[in-house]
Amino acid sequence: MSREKLEQLGLDLPLFPTTSVGSFPKPDYLVRARADFNKQKITQAQLQELERQATAFWIETQEKLGIDVLVDGEQYRGDMVAYFAERMPGFTEGGLVRSYGNRYYHKPIITAEVQWPGPVTVDWWKFAQGLTKKPVKGMLTGAYTIMDWSFNEHYSDRRATALALAQVIRKEVDVLIAAGCKIIQIDEPALSVRPEELPIAIEAMEATTAGLDAYFITHACYGAFEYIYPGMLDLAVDNFDLEMSNSDLHMLELFRSHPFTKDISFGVVDVHTHVLEDQGAVRRRVEQALSILPKDQIWVDPDCGLKTRTVDEAIDKLRLCVAAAKAFRN
Amino acid sequence: MSTASPGLYLSSTGSYPRVGDTHELQLLRRTMAALDRGERTTADVLDAENEMTRRAIADQVKAGLDVITDGQIRWYDPISHFASKLENLRIKGLLRFFDTNFYFRQPVVTGTPVRRGPLVVTEYSFARNALGHLPTPQDKAGKLSIKPVITGPYTLAKCSLSESSGNGSGESAAALEARALAYSQALAAEIAALAQTGAELIQVDEPAAIKYPEDWDIFERALAPLAAARDKIIGAGRRLELALYFYFRDCAPLHEKILELPVDIIGLDFTYNPQLADRIAAEGSPKPLGLGLVDARNTRLEDPEVLAWQLERLLPKIKDERAFLGPSAGLEYLPRDRAFAKLALLSKVREAIKGAKGAAS
Repeated sequence: MSREKLEQLGLDLPLFPTTSVGSFPKPDYLVRARADFNKQKITQAQLQELERQATAFWIETQEKLGIDVLVDGEQYRGDMVAYFAERMPGFTEGGLVRSYGNRYYHKPIITAEVQWPGPVTVDWWKFAQGLTKKPVKGMLTGAYTIMDWSFNEHYSDRRATALALAQVIRKEVDVLIAAGCKIIQIDEPALSVRPEELPIAIEAMEATTAGLDAYFITHACYGAFEYIYPGMLDLAVDNFDLEMSNSDLHMLELFRSHPFTKDISFGVVDVHTHVLEDQGAVRRRVEQALSILPKDQIWVDPDCGLKTRTVDEAIDKLRLCVAAAKAFRN
Repeated sequence: MSTASPGLYLSSTGSYPRVGDTHELQLLRRTMAALDRGERTTADVLDAENEMTRRAIADQVKAGLDVITDGQIRWYDPISHFASKLENLRIKGLLRFFDTNFYFRQPVVTGTPVRRGPLVVTEYSFARNALGHLPTPQDKAGKLSIKPVITGPYTLAKCSLSESSGNGSGESAAALEARALAYSQALAAEIAALAQTGAELIQVDEPAAIKYPEDWDIFERALAPLAAARDKIIGAGRRLELALYFYFRDCAPLHEKILELPVDIIGLDFTYNPQLADRIAAEGSPKPLGLGLVDARNTRLEDPEVLAWQLERLLPKIKDERAFLGPSAGLEYLPRDRAFAKLALLSKVREAIKGAKGAAS
């Protein structure tokens, strides 16, 4: 069914389309520039020029590798929730909260009604798409995850917060589509955190995508999917981008018990290890996917965003994905 | 302590933020980063931990608390802080800690976990000493105490893996129980050591027990050695109470079973389900309670009048009208300024009760 939708959208993708989850590592010059910008040593315009340079590098790199559906690599973003919260009226930057070990982040606080500030991601999408003839995904964070990763001092409860955010994200989806974007990924890594709240996540995604003309992907990872499967399949998207390799393809057992009814972007390389997988091992992961899923449902990509790897490691992992997909196409 | 409600204590529930937004409150963060760069030593980190622990204790005293913790400033996380000090374990990668945005290092059990030395005793001793060096507020002389906190054996076991069971999927109940019982033996020895050092109230955290009720029997069997350790200490003429705390999930479905557990105080998270307070108000509690009425997971400050109303209907129903009002969980999930505001709120609640009782009399 999703293949038909892709064709209706004018997207002619091969079997086992290859893609990426979203983020790529920032080159050293950009890491330094971001630090300099925070110390007010360079201007916003100077930083943005380097972000564009890094984005162009990643678009060119993906093209050379032969990836089918590209991403802009999020060279201009830090945290996937803070990026949107910093731009949306209704949010206040919170104080530092620990993430793990000695790592901290500013967790946003919703202090008033959240509002859409106008296009947030469209200019970057247009820039990236302007560099290639291949489709570039629009990249958004889902309402449920933004809600879960923020404090809330305004809305009555978590459902009300998620639904308010869904209206805001829907407006961003609208303008991405109007700009020509046909594949939009709406990340929901918090999807499985509170299994009892899956209905809220489903309601929020429905409010975000219902009736809109694009192929929708959602990414989720490192969760207890056994508690939300198969209910998660009710999420109003066409494709689930899932981390599979880090959990030893554990989810395939769930798919045996209940058919996986959507397309899947199947994570065939683990992004949390410096170790580059053996090509045979990656192919075996695709084989295992094929033992349960029809071939026209399967996309091939890494488990998650590659921003924690080095540039070279990220490229090597992407190359593995492409090689595995091509092997099965033939 | 209020004369209007003599059995009501204001209590920390465990952690306190290790950093704040000012330069001086980022001492530990800076020192650890410098250690990573090879510019500082582990002794420097210890100094920074000591300083931030003193500050965490001072904040709790300033907020008016009666029962204080060391803020768990030295903890990498509630799991590996214990597991990394035991033998026959190694530490694996990061995993999300329940439904928080905080990640813990997962232990892998390679044999039977064995305690070869103190887990938190040294930290407890430091905290007592630090509290003793602070000026005691006028009405608190002899009434302030430090409460050590340990993560319970079932939660430690559930958040660990056994080397033989791969990624944990399909692990047998027997493997989980063996791990839990091994942790329990180590923690029972720690409880004895803490009591020997002077602890009279020890908090045991078991958030996993209400997340995985299917393992309740294993949880109970793992708890038994801790209760036995307490009984032995009391038998030797010492005072010791165990306070068992549950949070990060709705406690209401299991609250009747929870109240029957062989501990002295039960700490409950009231923020997930308003019916829990209704049930306690209707049915009472046969044990003193830790009342987690202040939301440790959200920055919004509760109305002290509303909390005072809750307390006034709950306290008469609780055994000996003895309760420990505090945050629903540790406070390190909040920014430091908001965490302090949550603690300061506790005193306002007590004042509101005093005011109401004064007006009534």
